[in-house]
Amino acid sequence: MLMKEGRSKALAAVLMIAPFVITYRTVFAYPVYKMFALSFTDAPLIGEGRWVGFDNYAKLLNQKLFFTSVWNTGYFVVLTVVPNTLIGLGLALMVVRLKGWLQSLVLVLFFLPYILPVSVVTQIWEWVLDQQFGIAQYLIEFFTGRRISVFRDPIWAMPMVALVTIWWTNGFNLLLFIAGLRNIPADYYEAATLDGATRWQCFQRITWPLIWPVTALVLTLQLILQLKIFDQVYLMTEGGPFNSTYVLLQLVYREAFRLNHGGLGSAVAVFLFLIIVTVSVLQYQLLRVRGR
Amino acid sequence: MSGIKLTGVSKSFGAVKVIHDVDIEIQQGEFAVFVGPSGCGKSTLLRMIAGLEETTGGQIRIDTEDVTRREASKRGVAMVFQSYALYPHLSVFDNMAFSLSIARRPKAEIDAKVRAAADILRLGDYLSHKPSQLSGGQRQRVAIGRAIVREPRVFLFDEPLSNLDAELRVKMRMEIARLHRQIGATMIYVTHDQVEAMTLADKIVVLKAGVVQQVGEPLELYRNPDNMFVAGFIGSPGMNFLKARVMSAAAGRLVVELEDAPGVPFDVPGTAGVPLGKGIFLGVRPEHIALGEREGSVPLKATAEFIEELGGTGYLHALTATGAEMTVECRGEERPHPKQAIRLSLDPKEMFAFSERGERLR
Ligand SMILES: Nc1ncnc2c1ncn2[C@@H]1O[C@H](COP(=O)(O)OP(=O)(O)O)[C@@H](O)[C@H]1O
Ligand SMILES: [Mg+2]
Repeated sequence: MLMKEGRSKALAAVLMIAPFVITYRTVFAYPVYKMFALSFTDAPLIGEGRWVGFDNYAKLLNQKLFFTSVWNTGYFVVLTVVPNTLIGLGLALMVVRLKGWLQSLVLVLFFLPYILPVSVVTQIWEWVLDQQFGIAQYLIEFFTGRRISVFRDPIWAMPMVALVTIWWTNGFNLLLFIAGLRNIPADYYEAATLDGATRWQCFQRITWPLIWPVTALVLTLQLILQLKIFDQVYLMTEGGPFNSTYVLLQLVYREAFRLNHGGLGSAVAVFLFLIIVTVSVLQYQLLRVRGR
Repeated sequence: MSGIKLTGVSKSFGAVKVIHDVDIEIQQGEFAVFVGPSGCGKSTLLRMIAGLEETTGGQIRIDTEDVTRREASKRGVAMVFQSYALYPHLSVFDNMAFSLSIARRPKAEIDAKVRAAADILRLGDYLSHKPSQLSGGQRQRVAIGRAIVREPRVFLFDEPLSNLDAELRVKMRMEIARLHRQIGATMIYVTHDQVEAMTLADKIVVLKAGVVQQVGEPLELYRNPDNMFVAGFIGSPGMNFLKARVMSAAAGRLVVELEDAPGVPFDVPGTAGVPLGKGIFLGVRPEHIALGEREGSVPLKATAEFIEELGGTGYLHALTATGAEMTVECRGEERPHPKQAIRLSLDPKEMFAFSERGERLR
């Protein structure tokens, strides 16, 4: 009797977690395994290949475009992760000071870009930055003295892609920071005010340490997200000019889908995967320790 | 010296006026308690004195200086918050040292002052702990320590004990009283608990809906309340109120009859000039009602409802014939049963007369 009940409970449990297990295996575990497996073969885009050991990795190390992509991806991460986080925090500090419906309205306005699809975002910015009639050219002209076709200029291209990315994704960071700031009780600030703390001291001694866990989270999420940069580059510069915006995921795309090198593409993907896992785990641990 | 004087102080949030023309004078070294039901504006008034809330009208003076428009940090007041407002990321030491380190005082001075305060509050062993590692009572003491370290002219407490359990609350009450004796600073203490007010205060300010009802020493408020609100609020359990009618009036005495005991006229202290036949309220405290019949007392029939038993005393809740609720203190052995018909004796010398609008008649 008891055995039977135990068994039917176990059966129910298995049934209930089955959808998750099946989905997880099909759409995550298996593809990841397959990615690792393919990277050791000379498989084309579709179908199996022959085992080639570490040949694909060796090939990568002899490919200049691979190093360019690693460098550019790193550059993009530097341009986006910390600035995006700090801008999010800065905006959040201003927005929380607003009251009631005004705060909600401003929050919605800042969040709006985040819900746009990437193609719309890039289209908007191609217009804004257009050399002929782009409204941002007034600003560029004011500072540099001339109009610049930013996506065709190897110096300007990557920073502009970063700018567009920050504009697009900042709303989400802002939201996380707002939630974090709202969790800091108002009497902390009142007590500090009574003790004679200035606004800057309040930020330094109360806000910054108490918002740190959120900052660490945002930094980590940003790092993961920005290492996976592809769509914006693909839509705005296609890696150009002169490969100055070529990034790792684009190399995966090129090798696998353009050149039919499934194995080599997988090797790049494995490399990116390992970087993301290592860096993000490391960073989150480091940041958490520092926050203590 | 560090007395506080409020003159015609008022406060509005938008169109809503929550503090109405408050006049209070608190002497240097006095322990003043603002007491009133929740929402009556105690915290708002305290925060106005602290400078955390702008004052809409009137004047606040500390040490004869007008501080009405002065920034909070320049008023020389320290406040202990209901939530303690301790910084979770800082140690007890750093929490207590916060104001001094903000002011960039020398390390040695900070150290000496924090340790001195920690000694007074017996926190010496916990200086390196984080607030989350402390008990409620210890956190409370750290919050007080943070105020002491500043050596303020005035200490402000906003319901500092309301987050503690009953036993600890009594203990901390003693500690705060001891602290006041020890440092002798002016203190203003806000609470909704009249027992706290009675036990701690040199001077009680009773507030209702942003209006001061009465200011005075605890026993004065107890013995000589100005109105029905104060009479009902001060004292535990609260005063009983019974409807009565004025039969005649003469030289500071009123001859009255209870609605619940018609045909038994008796006299109580009260102003002449109350219209005859007019309804009034008579207040009598639970301790001035006896079970059974007594010579010289006003008899009243009632039905026992239930007893709050405390051991030595019990509080009997009863209903009169007209449905008025009564609380009676029973000291002896005798305890009526629920639903039992009982006779009560009310001491007319201990009765307070109030007009229909709740003003004291004396
Ligand atoms: N910031 C505010 N804005 C609007 N109304 C407020 C604000 N703070 C307090 N009030 C109102 O003022 C009244 C008194 O509040 P408070 O001083 O907190 O009462 P107490 O401390 O006696 O419980 C309440 O009716 C409350 O709703
Ligand atoms: Mg309050």
